[in-house]
Parts: sequence; C-alpha cells; structure tokens
Amino acid sequence: MQKIVLITEDAHVKEKTEKVLAHSFELICLTDIKSIFSFLYDSIPVVVIVDIQNCDDYTFDAINQIKSDPIFGSISFIALIFDNDNLPESERVFIDDYLKIKDIESDLAFRIRLSIHRSKRLNEINPLTRLPGNISIDREIHNRLLNREEFAIAYADLDNFKPFNDRYGFGRGDEVIKATGRLILNIVKNKQPSGSFVGHIGGDDFVYMMNYDSIEDASKEIINAFEIIIPTFYDIEDRERGFIESTDRQGNKRLFPLMTISIGITHNRYIQFTHYGEIKETASKMKTYAKTFKGSCFKIDERQIRN
Amino acid sequence: MNELDIRTIRSSIEKINTLPTIPNVLKKLLKMLENPATSLNDIGHFISHDPIITTKVLRMINSPIYGFPGRIYSVNQAVILLGLNVVKGLLLSVSVYDLMKKVMMGLWEHSLACAITSRLMAKKKGLKEPEESSIAGLLHDIGKVALILQFQGYYETAMSTADKKNIPIMDAEKELFNINHATAGEWMAEKWSFPRNLIEIIGYHHKPHISRNFPVETSIVHLADILVRGRGFGFAGDRTVPPVNETAWALLNLSNNDIKEILKELEESMGMANELFIE
Repeated sequence: MQKIVLITEDAHVKEKTEKVLAHSFELICLTDIKSIFSFLYDSIPVVVIVDIQNCDDYTFDAINQIKSDPIFGSISFIALIFDNDNLPESERVFIDDYLKIKDIESDLAFRIRLSIHRSKRLNEINPLTRLPGNISIDREIHNRLLNREEFAIAYADLDNFKPFNDRYGFGRGDEVIKATGRLILNIVKNKQPSGSFVGHIGGDDFVYMMNYDSIEDASKEIINAFEIIIPTFYDIEDRERGFIESTDRQGNKRLFPLMTISIGITHNRYIQFTHYGEIKETASKMKTYAKTFKGSCFKIDERQIRN
Repeated sequence: MNELDIRTIRSSIEKINTLPTIPNVLKKLLKMLENPATSLNDIGHFISHDPIITTKVLRMINSPIYGFPGRIYSVNQAVILLGLNVVKGLLLSVSVYDLMKKVMMGLWEHSLACAITSRLMAKKKGLKEPEESSIAGLLHDIGKVALILQFQGYYETAMSTADKKNIPIMDAEKELFNINHATAGEWMAEKWSFPRNLIEIIGYHHKPHISRNFPVETSIVHLADILVRGRGFGFAGDRTVPPVNETAWALLNLSNNDIKEILKELEESMGMANELFIE
C-alpha cells in the first residue's frame, strides 16, 4: 500500500482525512513536521499533507529542505488551508497543491490521485540516482541558450567502471553510481545554491551546469571527494593493492587501476553556441580529451573564439 | 517486572528514532550552517566531535533510502553524500537535552576524549584508517544514551547503585536490565545498518578478547576508554577505573612512552575541543 503522511494538530482534520483515505492508503499521522525526518529514514511516502492553518516559517523551511533533495523529489506536498487568505507565496514554499479544509471529504482523495499521476509524469528521473535524465538535461541547456545566459557545462564519467562492475557485480556498481551522483549534486549545490543543475545521462555519465566562475573550484572538489570516497567501495585488499583483476572487452584477464573520474568542461563566455546539441558535443569532446590523461582530472575548453 | 523483560528492552531500543544532544553543540552547528562560507568539510569535521549527531548522520547515510547500507563510517564522507540540506533537516529532528543534563555533558566529554585517544592509538599502531577508530571511540557508549533515553528512572537507579556500591556502571546495568550498554549499543547499531566494524567494536569494547573480526580496533577503544577514565576526562556513569584486558594489552603492545605521548596529546586536544565546542 502506498504511504501518505498527514501532519496536523487538529483532531477534527485528522478524523476527516482518515475517513477518506484510510482504506486505500497507509496513512501515517504526525502532529509536528519535525517527526517526519525520522520517518523518512525508512520509507518514502507518495504524498505529504500538511495542515498549515497556524504553522510557522520553521515548517516551511522543513518542507523546502525535503523538496530540494532529489531523493525526495517524487513526494507531492499538499497544503491544507482554512481559506484562500493564508496560502503562502508559492515562490517561497515548494508545495504542489492546496485544499480547503471544508473540501476534504469531497475532493481530497481525487486530488491525491492527480498529484501522484502528475509527479510520475513530471519527474523524468534516473531511477538509480533520482537525478533528472536526458530530456530534462536537453531542455535545461536549450532554455539557457534561449535566455542568452552565460554558463559552463561539465561532462563527467568514470574510468575503469566496467571492470569494477564485472569484479564486484551490479549491486556494488550501482552503489558507486549513486555515491558519485550524490557527491556531484551536493558539491555543486553547495558551491552555487541557485541556478546550478545536475543531471544523470545514464550509466556512468553525469552532467552539471554552473556559473563559469564556480565550475573550476567545484570540479576540483568533486575530484577530491571522489578520490576519498570511491576507493572505500573496493574490498580492502584490492584498495591497498591499488588495482583489481578483471576481464577486458576482448575477454582477456587484465589488471585495472582503481576508478577515477574524468571531467570535460566547456562554456559560452568566449565561445558562441546556438544549439544545445553543439554545446553537448563540445563538452563530450572535452571529456574524451580529459580521459586521455592518467588519473582523475578536469579539462576546460580554453578557446577564445568570438563569432 | 515486565517492563524490563529483555525482549521489551530490545524492542524499545530498536524503536528509538531521535537522540538527545547538548544545546551548545547544536547551537554552534546551526550557526555554522547559516554561514554561506562554511564548506561540507567544515561541517563534517565539526559533527565528528559529537556522538549524537554523528550517530544520526551515519544512520541516515546507511539507511536503505540512500542505498549504500553498512558502507560509510566516515562523517566527512557521509556529509558529502547527504548534502547540507539533509544535514539541516536532521538537526531539526535532534532534540535538546534537559533531563539528566549533567550526565549527558559528562558522557559527551568522555566520548570525545575516547575518540581522540583512539585516533592517536590507531596512528601509533600504524592503522590505515585512524578516523575509523576515532568514530568508534566516539560512539562506543551510545548504548548508554539509548538506555537513559528509554529508561531514565531505572538508569538513575543504576547510577546510584554504582555509586553506593562503588562498582562499574556496566555491572549495575546488568543487575537491573540483564544486559549492559555495550549490548544496547550493538542492538541499535545493528538496527540502523551501521558498518560491521562499528557494530562489533561497540558491542565488544568491554570484552575485546572475543572480538573476531576487529580485535585490534576493539582493543584500541577498550584501552582508550580506561585511559580516559583514569585521566579523569568526563563522566561515564561511575567513578571506577576497570582493569585493562590482558589480551588487548598484549595485542596492542604499547610502551610506557607511547602511552605518555598519547596522554599528553589528549590533554592538548581536549583543551582545544572544550574551547571550540562548549564555551
């Protein structure tokens, strides 16, 4: 059964909601948004209903914090309000829908089904990392070019991922992909909280977009974090030895060094791009160039062509 | 007494969702988080001095939601993988302690001193990952927090028994609960999918000779615990200094000079830590 969390202090609201939802969903009732964090450790609900009749900034902060993490991106938040007057500004709080308390009985069940459908449709995400996939990445680049924004784009991919996967199995390979996605996301978002973007093309390929002036520092940090964290996914003997034995694409047994990350970066500060395909291709070429160097590294497109 | 039936104790420990911490540490951390110049590493470094927030961070990153159960023991790594927003969210759910505040303060200082001592010892023994030992030292008594939280009245009784009879707190715990804090901590760490080494060290720090997979690491925390008690940092529930386990002592094979150096460095670090985290 899908889980729905209801946060309210109002016994009346609780009773009404239970009546409408209890037989089709597993309903978890909390009186305080704080307790939701412990709940989220164990499972992800499809919808969170928050009674915002008399709640404070603290509650809104908490909602925003949950919504800003892609892991929880699929959760829809529905605000319960007394009347239209106390709806918070939508730019300030990431809620997906609202409902008046007097309409719970007639509308809530239907609104919830709509929310679940909408979230499935809108979230074109990679199931492993929960980062946006190709369609969203292309749309993001396209919009930036359309708005004549200056930005830098990085393509990152792992070296020696395949032998790791062959040696330890897909489960552990997936863990590495998830960890890489997380560390890129967190470092990029920490360096540049707004206007940055992280996507997962698929397999071991990632994309991030930032201001030209921040991307070099962020890339350095990503490489550092990668080199500290990823070796811990190897068995201790392999990590100490510094390489693993696995089979190459021709089926021959060979020794492979530990995984590293190669990042290629381009930007439109000095180079003009008109089409998203063009800038993607250039970033991808830069990545191929970065891959020709041993170990983890990033390479920035340093051409200065003005058309 | 049904309430202290061993299965009841275990299930109430496994039910714990939020652990209480010390107000000062929380306040300082919240202030750091508000500062845009704070890096993920700064946050990780700060958190790795607090047993409760460390426990929370490790629990979150090892939970099935993130999908690397039992793999991450380093707080710095956990913070990079979780991100600042999640860390902020975790802090919202940290409750601040008022009841038994003095005991919690004493335990905090004891745990921090054990973390520092364990790290120094791990370095002396040439262990590859001294941070692993540091975290184990920090968390070895987490079972006490669990017992205090779920059975505050009984725990106070255990403490006054330990005081009156002048026996170690673990013996008083055993009399009352039929288990001691090491077992309680092990249960909690298991339930929260902590890495294997942490579970074993927490569970065996009073009987390091039967640790199967991590005898050296467990012996380090065992000895650190006793050195810190002897030196008088913090308060771990009683005033006794238990004997050092012979197997552990032989295994570590530290010279008098090694111990002297460790104690000297511990003293310097604790001075700094108090300035940074408490005052």
